[in-house]
Amino acid sequence: MLKTVLVCDDAVFMRTMLADILTQAGFAVIGQAKTGTEAVEKYRELRPDLVTMDIVMPDMGGIEAVKLIMQEYPDAKILMCSAMGQQSLVIEAIQAGARDFVVKPFQPSRVLEAVQRVLG
Amino acid sequence: MDLNRYLELYLSESHDHMRALMQGLLALESGQEVRGAVEEAFRAAHTIKGMSATMGFQRVTDICHHLEDRLDDVRAGRLQASREVVDELLARADELERAIQESVQDPQGASNELAGPVTVVPDPAQPRKLTSADGPLVARVHFDPESAMKAARALLLVRSLAQRKLIRGAEPAEFGEDFDGRLLLHLAPEVEVDALEQELKRSPDVASATVEKEGAAAPETAAAPELQKRGPVARVVRVDQAKLNHLSGGIGELTVLQGRLGNLAAESGPISVIVTRLNVLVAELQSSVLAMQMVPVGDVFDRFPRVVRDAARALGKEIEFTIEGREIEMDRAIVDEIGDPLVHLIRNAVDHGLEGPLGRIEADKPPRGQLVLRAMRERNSVRIELEDDGRGVSAEKVIAKARRAGVPVHSTPDQITNDELLRILSHPGFSTAEQITEVSGRGVGLDAVTNRVRALGGAIALESRPGQGSTFTIRLPITLAVAQALHVRVGGEDYAIPLTHVSEAMILDGNVSRQRGREIVALRGDELPLVRLRAVLGSHAPGIEQAAVVAEVGERRSALAVDELIGREQILVKDFDGAVGTLPIFSGVTLLADGRPALVLDPLSVV
Repeated sequence: MLKTVLVCDDAVFMRTMLADILTQAGFAVIGQAKTGTEAVEKYRELRPDLVTMDIVMPDMGGIEAVKLIMQEYPDAKILMCSAMGQQSLVIEAIQAGARDFVVKPFQPSRVLEAVQRVLG
Repeated sequence: MDLNRYLELYLSESHDHMRALMQGLLALESGQEVRGAVEEAFRAAHTIKGMSATMGFQRVTDICHHLEDRLDDVRAGRLQASREVVDELLARADELERAIQESVQDPQGASNELAGPVTVVPDPAQPRKLTSADGPLVARVHFDPESAMKAARALLLVRSLAQRKLIRGAEPAEFGEDFDGRLLLHLAPEVEVDALEQELKRSPDVASATVEKEGAAAPETAAAPELQKRGPVARVVRVDQAKLNHLSGGIGELTVLQGRLGNLAAESGPISVIVTRLNVLVAELQSSVLAMQMVPVGDVFDRFPRVVRDAARALGKEIEFTIEGREIEMDRAIVDEIGDPLVHLIRNAVDHGLEGPLGRIEADKPPRGQLVLRAMRERNSVRIELEDDGRGVSAEKVIAKARRAGVPVHSTPDQITNDELLRILSHPGFSTAEQITEVSGRGVGLDAVTNRVRALGGAIALESRPGQGSTFTIRLPITLAVAQALHVRVGGEDYAIPLTHVSEAMILDGNVSRQRGREIVALRGDELPLVRLRAVLGSHAPGIEQAAVVAEVGERRSALAVDELIGREQILVKDFDGAVGTLPIFSGVTLLADGRPALVLDPLSVV
């Protein structure tokens, strides 16, 4: 069965790129979210196997979204997408329950390795 | 992405890391600061691996990887750094160096080839794997310094291991921006050591991971002072040598033009003010471009410990090799050229100069021979000495061998001077070796060394202390770009004599006398042989020899009689190759400040 993924990022470019990488690798991208609030709503609705979560998003940031999702679904598998220099935010997200992270700019292989580790 | 653009950078950087690797391995063998040595070698191999993988050089990457594994075993104490092991590591490092060269020469071939066969040297001592039965174990994990988020990676790793109860604890316990990439894990008892080590090594951004017994000396303590004493790091921009040469050549010519302008301006007041300013500016430019071309002699000296080690091993000798003054700087062109002659002298010293342990004990010396290579600044030149405490040069053997080889000898063994010994040793094809050895080869006299040093405008001298050792001294100009020279006139022609070998100039005024058919000139109580350049040059033009230039080469001094001393000038010697058919006393041609050409006279040839 295809593993399902929810992609959360405020930039269309990033969402498209991530979705392409994941689709080509055989994942089913079943939803996209462009804010933290949307991410939490879509998670409840779709219950994906994996979430990719941008850290900085309007309305509600990625870390807050991780906390909310983890409260409701402690088994959620969330992969953080971070820019360089956001290490303290990444650490915060991990402490909130994120399983792993990738650093932008993305190399497809790094993204897929991280996804494999999370879904392990 | 066209990686070929990075080839040069790759090559020069790997070169630096290869040096560090070799140094680390040799230090490892010496048994001093083993921890630091292993760390250094490991870092070097790791860095080369990363660069090579980026370039797609599979074989280089594989060799590095293997080196890393072995060094890792040594670091964790699973493998004793015995001679055999160091031999193996050195052989592997040599293979690595070759693989780097080959990859750079054929980048396409290197990146396309499959994981090539790494010649596997059988393990001389299979390291014993630690198990949980060995008592409390720890794992040292080093994250890749290049990794952008080491702390986040470490946190993930620790959390994952803790959840599976594979570790009892971790140092540090919290991770922030100050995390230095070194993580110590206290393993849970009953843990599968092998599997865990493999997992750690495969974890993202992990550079190395080793399991060892708790309480083993921490590498941090050995590595920390090493880092501290390196001091501030200069910001470096890599510049293509050809561009630098071009700049240097241009400034050299500017110097000469400036001299010509100075001569013309002397007759015109207003222009001379500008020329004075120009002089200052050109001098500043010149010194800064010269400084750019200066490299420390250590760049080439640092490969000699390996030469000494290999030669000593091959001959069963014990030698302590010391390098002094590796920070002394010279023109890169000279530093590049001086390596081979020095290797030659070093091999000779190890082979012929220094005795074996038994010979030394018989001679009441410590069994370990001393060999010292030192560089120092001396006026406008650099002096390089190679000193050994061996047997010295045997005058009897040299003279006997010279007679057999048909090399002219003018002295008996008890009155022969060091200079004559050197002259005989430098005769083409001369060799004092009783046996032909692999180390210094057959029939290689010092002639190759002497020729190279002279071609660089330098001089070589020998001091032999029978029974106590010998010292070779090489004097070299600091730069090849511009030379200080004395402008003289002989028989109406202009000549330049490089100042490297000139100690002073004097007036010839009734101070010439004759002794045993040779002309002698008195100088402050000394008597120097007089060489009339008119006679050497075969000049019959009218003129009187009014002055002399005192040339000094080793212990020898001679007064070279000239018609006129014009002055001291900076000359640009573009090429030191003598023209075909000219007298062998010229080392090149130059343009003088007044724009006329002049031959550059090599004082060594007439002294």
